[in-house]
Amino acid sequence: MSVRQSQKEATRKRVLDAARDLFESRGYEETTVREIARVAEVSVGSVFTTFSSKGDILSQVMADRLDALYAELDRVVPHLRGSTADRLASMFAIHYAFETRRTKLFLAHIAAAFDWTLEANSRPFGRNAHLMQVVRDCLAEGLVRGDVDPATDLDIIVDALMASYAWTYRLAAWNGSDAEAMSAVFDRHIRLICQGFAPR
Amino acid sequence: MRVPTRRALAKQQTRAKVLAAARRLFSEEGYEGATIRDIAAAAGMSTGAVFANFSDKSDLFREIMLADMADLAETMREAALRGRNVDDALLKAFAAGYAFYKTQLPLARAAFSISWSPDQGQELRSMPPVQALHDLINEQLVLGVERGELSQEAEVKLRTQMLFDCYLANYPEAIFLGWSIDALQAKAKDQIRVILAGARRG
Repeated sequence: MSVRQSQKEATRKRVLDAARDLFESRGYEETTVREIARVAEVSVGSVFTTFSSKGDILSQVMADRLDALYAELDRVVPHLRGSTADRLASMFAIHYAFETRRTKLFLAHIAAAFDWTLEANSRPFGRNAHLMQVVRDCLAEGLVRGDVDPATDLDIIVDALMASYAWTYRLAAWNGSDAEAMSAVFDRHIRLICQGFAPR
Repeated sequence: MRVPTRRALAKQQTRAKVLAAARRLFSEEGYEGATIRDIAAAAGMSTGAVFANFSDKSDLFREIMLADMADLAETMREAALRGRNVDDALLKAFAAGYAFYKTQLPLARAAFSISWSPDQGQELRSMPPVQALHDLINEQLVLGVERGELSQEAEVKLRTQMLFDCYLANYPEAIFLGWSIDALQAKAKDQIRVILAGARRG
């Protein structure tokens, strides 16, 4: 890596660290790019050579965090035991626990999924291909183990689970619920959906 | 009936003008992008005149949402009445909802963005017409139990919430991916089937 490249990488990291802390402590709307630059100790101009907008910075902050989350999930999944419902409950509980470590940041991420100025390459909330694949694999294993009815359309189940998972976050947004409370609610959703595809 | 005074009429007209301008700008610029100054200019009046009628931007947005959601709840309720069974009634209600918003997706997008903010979100969610949507789903499930289509232990409250979640969760497809009403309806149909599946077994 050239000196210039490594400087650019260092700037990128400082900006992302500063932005993550400011979004979480003050909120996304309240934070300006100027403040991010000040805390990161770089010029506003150099922020804009790396990122196109505040929305772009948020998207990158979340992409880095999601990479960490999926590394954790991929480590845990092979060790899960029990019924398909139990395994799904564990997988989503990991998500709620991880995401509520920085609730404000995460809620900004959700709200930004409906933002006007979203970049084409950003990864908005709710269309997470990795999570959908992991859930689908879990259901497919259930088919093999025999606690999922062979007539089940797995993609529809994945979709229904994702919808419930995403909207359960309103409990964090509006009631300040923690990960445990959300997991408890979502466990009931999972069990109810699983009832529907249990073999007769 | 009391005849409104000329002054009250003028005030009503001013409000209507501001609301029409605000609706257009929220649709074009999004909630964050539309300023009171721009809304005032579009309505052909001073910012002072806007503030004489509305306390702030969120007040304006709330008024617009309240009116729309009341119409939406009514439209969905009428659609549900034409349903042949619980699945069909829910599907018809959801499809009517998607059709209602199809022409004003940018506004829906602004509403969703706001709905995730802690203070305004709670307010939006507790609006009577939003509650009415929730109640509509709940009533259809209760009717389904009464008609024997769903079991007595159908966990109506939980299923109502999940169906409402699914209904809302399909909007991003409509907003970002340009899904047609037919595509949304097909997906909603599957979702309803999946969520009710467990309740059909005695």
